[in-house]
Amino acid sequence: MKKLIYLLIFIPSLLIAQQGKVIEGTVIDAALQMPIVGASVYVSSAIIGNETNTEGVIQGSMLGTTTDFDGAFSLRVGADAKFILVSYMGYETEKIDISAVTKKLSVVLKESPENLQEIVLTGYQKIEKRKMTSAYAKVEMTDINQAGVSSVDQMLVGQLSGVVVQPTSGAPGAPSKISIRGTATLNGSSDPLWVLDGIPLEGNDIPQDFRDKDNIDNLQSYPIAGLNPEDIESITVLKDASATSIYGARAANGVIVITSKNGKKGAMRINVNANVFVTQKPDFSKLNLMNSSEKVDFELLLASRSDLKYQQDRGGVARILNNYGEYNNFRDNGFTSISLDAQNEINNLKNINTNWGDELYQMAINQQYGVSISGGNENNNYYFSTGIFDEKGATKGTGQKRYNITLKDNFNVNDKLKVGVALFGSQNTTSSYITGADAYTNPSFYSRNANPYLSLKDADGNYVYDPDLVERSDLNLDYNVLEERENTNYELVASSLKAIFDVGYKLNKEIHFNTQLGLQLDFDKTEKYSDEESYYTRKYEQRSQYTSSGETLYYMPKGGIIQNWNADGFQYNWKTTANYNTSFNTIHELDVMLGTEFRRNKRTEIHTKGFGFNSNTLTTTAITNELALTNSLFDAYGKTYNENAYASFFGTASYTYDKKYTVFGSLRYDGSNLFGVNPKYRYLPIWSFAGSWNVYKEDFMYDVDAISDLKIRASYGVQGNIDKSTSPFVIGEYYTTSVLPGVSEEIIRALSAPNGNLRWEKTVSSNIGLDLGLLNNKIYISGDYYARKSTDLIGLRSVPLESGYNFINTNWATVSNKGFELSISTTNIDTPHFKWTSGFNISHNKSIVDAIENREEDFKPSLKGYSVNAIFAIKTAGLDSNGLPLFWKDGVKVSAVDFYNLEEGTDGSQLTREEHRDLYTYVGDGTPKFSGGFRNSFKYKQFDLRVLTNFNIKQTVKTTPSYNPALAQPGNSYNTDILKAGTGSYPALIGLTSPGFDTDLVYTWFNSSDDGKTYNDLDIWVKDISYIRVSSIKLSYAIPKSKLEKFSLSSFNFNIEGRNLFVLGTDYNGFFDPETYGSLYAQPIPKIVSVGFNLSF
Amino acid sequence: MKKIIYITFVALGFISCDNYLDIEPVGQVIPKSVEEYRSFLTSAYDIAKDYKVLTTFRTDELALSTSALGVEQYEDVFIWNDVNPSPLTRVFPYASLYNTIFYTNHVINSESTMEGTPSDIEQLVGEAYALRAMQYFELVNLYGKPYNKATAITDAGVPITTEYDAEKDYPVKTVEEVYTLILDDLDKAEALLNIEKQDLGYNYRFSTVAVKAFKSRVYLYQQEWQNAIDLANEALAINAELQNLNSNVSIMPSEYNAVESILALETIASFDMVNNTTISNSLITAYNQTDDLRFSLYFNKNTDGSFSSKKSAETKFKVSYRTAELYLTIAECLAELNNIDLAKETLIAFTENRYTSSGWDIYKTYVNALSLADLKEEIQEERRREFAIEGQRWNDLRRTTQPELTKEFDGVTYVLEQNDDRYVIPFPNDAIINNPNL
Repeated sequence: MKKLIYLLIFIPSLLIAQQGKVIEGTVIDAALQMPIVGASVYVSSAIIGNETNTEGVIQGSMLGTTTDFDGAFSLRVGADAKFILVSYMGYETEKIDISAVTKKLSVVLKESPENLQEIVLTGYQKIEKRKMTSAYAKVEMTDINQAGVSSVDQMLVGQLSGVVVQPTSGAPGAPSKISIRGTATLNGSSDPLWVLDGIPLEGNDIPQDFRDKDNIDNLQSYPIAGLNPEDIESITVLKDASATSIYGARAANGVIVITSKNGKKGAMRINVNANVFVTQKPDFSKLNLMNSSEKVDFELLLASRSDLKYQQDRGGVARILNNYGEYNNFRDNGFTSISLDAQNEINNLKNINTNWGDELYQMAINQQYGVSISGGNENNNYYFSTGIFDEKGATKGTGQKRYNITLKDNFNVNDKLKVGVALFGSQNTTSSYITGADAYTNPSFYSRNANPYLSLKDADGNYVYDPDLVERSDLNLDYNVLEERENTNYELVASSLKAIFDVGYKLNKEIHFNTQLGLQLDFDKTEKYSDEESYYTRKYEQRSQYTSSGETLYYMPKGGIIQNWNADGFQYNWKTTANYNTSFNTIHELDVMLGTEFRRNKRTEIHTKGFGFNSNTLTTTAITNELALTNSLFDAYGKTYNENAYASFFGTASYTYDKKYTVFGSLRYDGSNLFGVNPKYRYLPIWSFAGSWNVYKEDFMYDVDAISDLKIRASYGVQGNIDKSTSPFVIGEYYTTSVLPGVSEEIIRALSAPNGNLRWEKTVSSNIGLDLGLLNNKIYISGDYYARKSTDLIGLRSVPLESGYNFINTNWATVSNKGFELSISTTNIDTPHFKWTSGFNISHNKSIVDAIENREEDFKPSLKGYSVNAIFAIKTAGLDSNGLPLFWKDGVKVSAVDFYNLEEGTDGSQLTREEHRDLYTYVGDGTPKFSGGFRNSFKYKQFDLRVLTNFNIKQTVKTTPSYNPALAQPGNSYNTDILKAGTGSYPALIGLTSPGFDTDLVYTWFNSSDDGKTYNDLDIWVKDISYIRVSSIKLSYAIPKSKLEKFSLSSFNFNIEGRNLFVLGTDYNGFFDPETYGSLYAQPIPKIVSVGFNLSF
Repeated sequence: MKKIIYITFVALGFISCDNYLDIEPVGQVIPKSVEEYRSFLTSAYDIAKDYKVLTTFRTDELALSTSALGVEQYEDVFIWNDVNPSPLTRVFPYASLYNTIFYTNHVINSESTMEGTPSDIEQLVGEAYALRAMQYFELVNLYGKPYNKATAITDAGVPITTEYDAEKDYPVKTVEEVYTLILDDLDKAEALLNIEKQDLGYNYRFSTVAVKAFKSRVYLYQQEWQNAIDLANEALAINAELQNLNSNVSIMPSEYNAVESILALETIASFDMVNNTTISNSLITAYNQTDDLRFSLYFNKNTDGSFSSKKSAETKFKVSYRTAELYLTIAECLAELNNIDLAKETLIAFTENRYTSSGWDIYKTYVNALSLADLKEEIQEERRREFAIEGQRWNDLRRTTQPELTKEFDGVTYVLEQNDDRYVIPFPNDAIINNPNL
């Protein structure tokens, strides 16, 4: 082991030189400013003497001395000696130039960072940093902690190189999508594995397409949602194969290891913190919507044009004109020719300006509190904490409330046996609004479409229903956003308990055993309630419509609808390792670990629905109509049960030679329950090997002053995954059915097509890295280059229908990811009163789909040769004289008719799918070219200022078109782009009879025939964005210790913090945030100002 | 020492592991026993068999108004516009038939490994053969030319698959090849089946009588007249009952629980058909409304004077074969074999159960006076009346004269010419996209 034992055998009499000089001085500890006793002071070891097998131990004749009890030394050196070295165990060796020394030296030694024994916790092992061969990134919670943030994923944005964290929505409790080194799958989850103190956490995957209107409003319980950031000590992200392979198949997307706080030796320490944070109302004007005056004028414009007939009777203006029977009169003769009453009524519309920003969004005052008690002694340490987090979202009706309790205790039963217990309990309630099946009622979406002149309540306080939110031209189910908020409710209460038991037994110095049992219990209760008087209920009722003897009836009983989803999750994870750590002949170090892991999880979900719900009696009414039996929307009860088991065997071995060279290898066999899966895939081998070279330890580095650390790392590994849903056998699922009346039978329905040829997905990764410390590690640089190739990725492929199936799972794609990561941390200024430190990281990932099987029926081009998130668009070439869009085809400007090959007398384009795909051009990568962050901390006396920023550079994004020229209608509100229609690159509004060549064909195409939705893919809706977001500015003040002593306080800090205050970069007009650019459904990312204090005693 | 203990522990771990990992997911199974295969085949029976609903829109049995709800889904089917149908048009089923074939193939190919009593296995596999034959019979009559002995060996039929393979090509086989497979399957089914007649409620499953009735229909379509008669008689030997409407009009003779039922599997009407279409004039006038007891049993009179079908999407109206068809098949085949007297006798005997006694007397006189050619036509008319909205009409039109049909829709007259190509339905788009051989 690393034991720097300086045995300085000094025989002065032999070495007294005839000539020379005497160097005198003292050696002082940099931190304590105390003399160091017994430090070695010598001329270079390279000159005289024989090095022993142990580093730093010098034998034999050697010129040098040690310091006395006052830290003083006196050394006679030769006249030609230019330098002396001063070293002490655990401190960095100093090299002093003595050529011009005349007076007494004062040598300051600093603790060596290496000797601080920096340990990397992988969840399985504690590895000394010097022996690390793999790529990882680590961040201390104190550096990134932010007030008003419920979950740690949001704090990681821009903090770790190679880890791209993208907020999905500003909703309270919304998850952030994390991708580590790009995407290794095209279909499966790309979420990393979260590990808490060694236990992999279970939870829902973040939906692949979070922008999807249904996913974005769906409340779910994610793995780390229940964890209080206050309980976290540090976060380590394992990135390359040699680091993650020990986690097996689940770690294909990287691993995030959370290390929670432990009690520290010393007296009991109580810490209290409290924050009040104010969530600002979002800047609604960012959406650039029309105001009432603009909207009314726009409707008048539409009504005045005889060619624009699409849904022409909608909107306030058309309703007034039709009421007065003046529509045609207005169109033919203009505004002044219609009756004065009609004119007045229309002008009055302009004066009603409903501010949807105020109706749907709010400023909210929120709170967060935490108390922790910790302490310990030689044999025991403890940590206890509790916290409350209570947030109301900027979107009305949303919120999150969490209670946490954490208990940890570690005992040393005796010299050999250690026991640790940890309990993490939480209850996390998230609430949101209900959206219907079509999400018109998503507030962000609705606020863009609702007319600015629409009142929400009439003079008597009754709800005014939106006359333009209609299901069909003859059906309006009466939507009012206030009524909907009042009468509906959507809430998820996630209760979670995680318990971890650790036992460590140290057989002797070299061998120890560890076993760890982790339990996770989750209870997720979701309730959706809608009162009888709500749009949601009215819409639901429509689904029960039937006719009986010419009468339209509904079989859904009158009353509210109550829907519950109760999920019950349980997992245990039991792993046992045997560790053998030894060193021999003092230059060989060997660390071997063998282990087993057994994991089992179960999840039961019960979904119930009740109709005719009375919120006073809490009773429901049964549906008696038999028609309901065939409509699953009205199933009263559903249950699902899932169970999975995993058994794994693994081992790692690491050998270090002379503290310079380390080789590492790991192998893991992952077995899981694979019902019906080809037995040869039951155990997946996952392996890696790696090596590192600690260049700094080489002799030739002693003289390179500027470099204080240098290490080169390389790794290679293979990971795999098998699709559990595919089997070489025909697997069936039980159902019941009734083919003929009166007989109900159990049936077995084939689950999916059998496929005996399916191979496992395989990812091969390699990594080369460099760690470099400069100027006593004042500058520390870590860089990594990696390449990952994922082959045989599994995806759905369409097959001939004659096979009996539409789609089957097959190995259909190969994806490569290449990239680099760079992180630099610097201490820019370090004086007793002022200190400035920075952390900067940047990463780049480029994915390429090397092979992919095309689907014949696809509208969009194949990704082959492009990035996973490649964006394809249709190249427009401006507008023609009538404002119709022109396109580039083979270098020539052509009309839509020629471009799409539109023909008279047919419904749409005559293009084959292949020709359709050829319309597209690659325009950019949806993944940012560079992303990263920049962190700066300033400390001046008692003040601390911390600024966190993150950036994305050159990301191609596609927005949702603000209007469609053939679907523009007076009933909707639009963003002001539509006022520019016909100018610049904005296509003019057209109808069937609008002027221009074959405009009717173009109209029909964009109005209804464009099955591939190419209008949304025009390049005018695509742009490259780059931005830097200032995610947090925090100023804190620590009351000087001297003033605290009389209150027996150890620290008392006040802080004020602003989160997400501003974004610099490309404009993102029309949307709240650059992160959610193009999403009509995302809630704004909240701007938060918080004030709080932190008190310890 | 400790290492040895540890190695033992790991070894033990490996051994016990397979048990640890053996989780049979709730609700999932790999069928092995004949009971499980029975449930598996019931799934195949349960797959929607509603192709006849859409073909009925193509016949002359319905009238469609532009104001009918959901008319967009049917108008192009109604007016035989196959070239540029509206995107909303209902697509003729294709995948569901092959999905049923997938199930039957799996049962047939698993016969040797199936666990259970041999008689149960034989019955089940026999049913699978018959069900597969039925799918191919319906496919070839939707997407292939009507059987014509002279051209069947070159006429394009449909692709054939008798085992699951997503990788292979699926070329279109000739009509002759498809019919050969159908008859081959039916022979195997006949040999294997050991239930003569299924119990009520299970009569969606094939039985000996159902296979014979089906086979009789296949021969009828192939114009193998004597074979059709023989098979019909073999079926009638098991079930010869007819419902006399003079004494019982509580249910329709086509209902699954009527005495005539032989196989009640296919859905023949839909909600839209009942609610949003009316019965065509030509079909209404084909009935003697006072004497034909079927008229008021089959049709509802609407307030505007039009008529709608009483046969609906309710499962009790499922029907595939029933005894009435056997009698009419015999009559038709006898006529085709120039056995005019026996043909008339058969027809008259059958119709006694359908007309009032006074009406029957008139009908008797009428039939007895018919020439052979007129008799053949009358038998088709009787089929039309008997099987109104039962999905037989389209195939009857196809396999006989493929006459000219005219329809009024939205003020326009549409004509399906005699022997029009549109008597064959083109393969659906999604089938063509996934199979370039179509």
